[in-house]
Amino acid sequence: MTGPAFAELFRVAGVTGWLFAADLDSGREVGHDPDEWLPMASMFKVALMVELCRQADAGLLDLTGRVTVTAADRAAGPTGLSAMHDDVTMSLRDLAYLMIAVSDNTAADALLSRVGMDAVNAMLEGFGFEATRVLMTAGETNGSMAVDTGHGWPYLDPEDLARMRALDPARTNRSTPRELARLFGLIWHDEAASPESCAWMRTVLNLQVWPHRLAAGFPYDDVAVSGKTGTLPTMRGEAGVVEYPDGGRYAVAVITRAFSAALNHPRADAVIGTAARMAVDHLRR
Amino acid sequence: MDLVRHLRYFTVVAEELHFGNAAIRLGMAQPPLSQRIKRLEEELGVRLFDRGGRQVRLTEAGRLLLGEAREIVARVDRLHELARHGEGAVLKVGVPPDLAAAAIAALVEGFRETSPGVRLAPAEIWTADQVTALAGGTIDVGLVRHPVNAPGLGFGPLLVQPQGVLLAESDPLARAGELHLADLGGRELLMPPREGEPGMHAETLAECRRHGYVPGQVHQGAGLGLVLAGMAVAFAPRAEVPGLAWRPLLGSPIAYKVSTAWRAETEAVKGFSALAVRILKERAGMTDEAAAPVRRVSRRPGMLA
Repeated sequence: MTGPAFAELFRVAGVTGWLFAADLDSGREVGHDPDEWLPMASMFKVALMVELCRQADAGLLDLTGRVTVTAADRAAGPTGLSAMHDDVTMSLRDLAYLMIAVSDNTAADALLSRVGMDAVNAMLEGFGFEATRVLMTAGETNGSMAVDTGHGWPYLDPEDLARMRALDPARTNRSTPRELARLFGLIWHDEAASPESCAWMRTVLNLQVWPHRLAAGFPYDDVAVSGKTGTLPTMRGEAGVVEYPDGGRYAVAVITRAFSAALNHPRADAVIGTAARMAVDHLRR
Repeated sequence: MDLVRHLRYFTVVAEELHFGNAAIRLGMAQPPLSQRIKRLEEELGVRLFDRGGRQVRLTEAGRLLLGEAREIVARVDRLHELARHGEGAVLKVGVPPDLAAAAIAALVEGFRETSPGVRLAPAEIWTADQVTALAGGTIDVGLVRHPVNAPGLGFGPLLVQPQGVLLAESDPLARAGELHLADLGGRELLMPPREGEPGMHAETLAECRRHGYVPGQVHQGAGLGLVLAGMAVAFAPRAEVPGLAWRPLLGSPIAYKVSTAWRAETEAVKGFSALAVRILKERAGMTDEAAAPVRRVSRRPGMLA
């Protein structure tokens, strides 16, 4: 049978899209340019969480250990600690929860400074990921956009966008839909870290608050969607796992680049879920 | 005179050629037997036996008539036999009118093989009317949908039949490989009549609401015309109907529960019940109750935020 018409679906939504989906149990897969190197934006936080867990498993750090985040430590961002003013003291695992559930940039950088960017990349290399690399902190990513354009947010001018390192896969945190889906597969198969750590990561990823992307494609009480979003000017994505009531589990990653630089683009968000649903439906036929 | 009874006496005396022995076999005294044979001879206008001395012998006429007499007696015996046997030889069965034609055919065919002496008489009746018919003895055994409240009835094992959705081929939803109940939003629903299937009706509509589907109107009937016209969707086990598309329901939320039911568990009822369980599993996609999936509700953070 012919595969789903992803290209048409993305075109109608006003985006270019890349997608990969795999049945976590049968190994069946479907993709749409799934090996394109793309900015992974905040989805890098999943790789950071994996390495955090591995270091905790190895006894290198204590997930219940407390960290104080001061105003000086803050990275820009609209959620979590990034949006707060005063000093906060919390455990590493609670920082990780904020980093995943609301994409808290400050929490991410606080963790990254303890875990180390090199350690995250060594872990990725060890698992055989060829494209996926973390090259910038969350704060650096935001800062680079201001430097590259010479002005602050918002970034709406096509020439500004063309100059951004944050959007250049060679220089920004990058991955491919296939590798992002595989990273989630490792977590769901208890292979990314210890089984206890993987179980905890699944719980945290299931607390993802944004309902407008992957979850929007599965508006059903008996379907669980866990994932992590990623957003940069014109780029929107989410990778995660969809779990069906009959036990079927599917790792899905979708990244889109909008033709328009508009900040509000609901159809570009929703098509991530629609495409994911089409992919899962295809895998279940 | 009762000719057949007299002919029977004649055949017995002809076999024994002794009135005393024949009377013992017939469980009667000898004088009335002799008297009846005499009356038969008068009736037929011929002598049947020579009663010379101590020996009884068939006359030429008696020999001639004996074959016919035996034939008549045997035929009358067979007539009574058939009449007696015929009383239990038909098993009246109630089946839901929307049960697949192939399943009904398989039931009749299978029953013919396992119980060749009993004829199956199926009638299409909804569950509520089957309960009445069972109580009144109009049917011997039924195939009813659960939940059903019917004191005094016995039930066979509960079978579960997961339902998919039948919809017009032109419906945009037909493009998907499978559907969730919530996807059906905005579509009207065709169901069997509520008075006929009250339990199934209530349970199915409750399940629809639970899964985010509240049909604007519930049509009642068993014909699929409304579905073909694109005016409604219907739940059904996997089926191929020209002009319609069948799609499985994600999570199998709608499952009809069926069992055999009876008031008196005769051998024929037992036989039918066992056969029905087998046929419905093999031919109608039904499974044992335990095999039905348990519903799990996923919790998303936004639900309480």
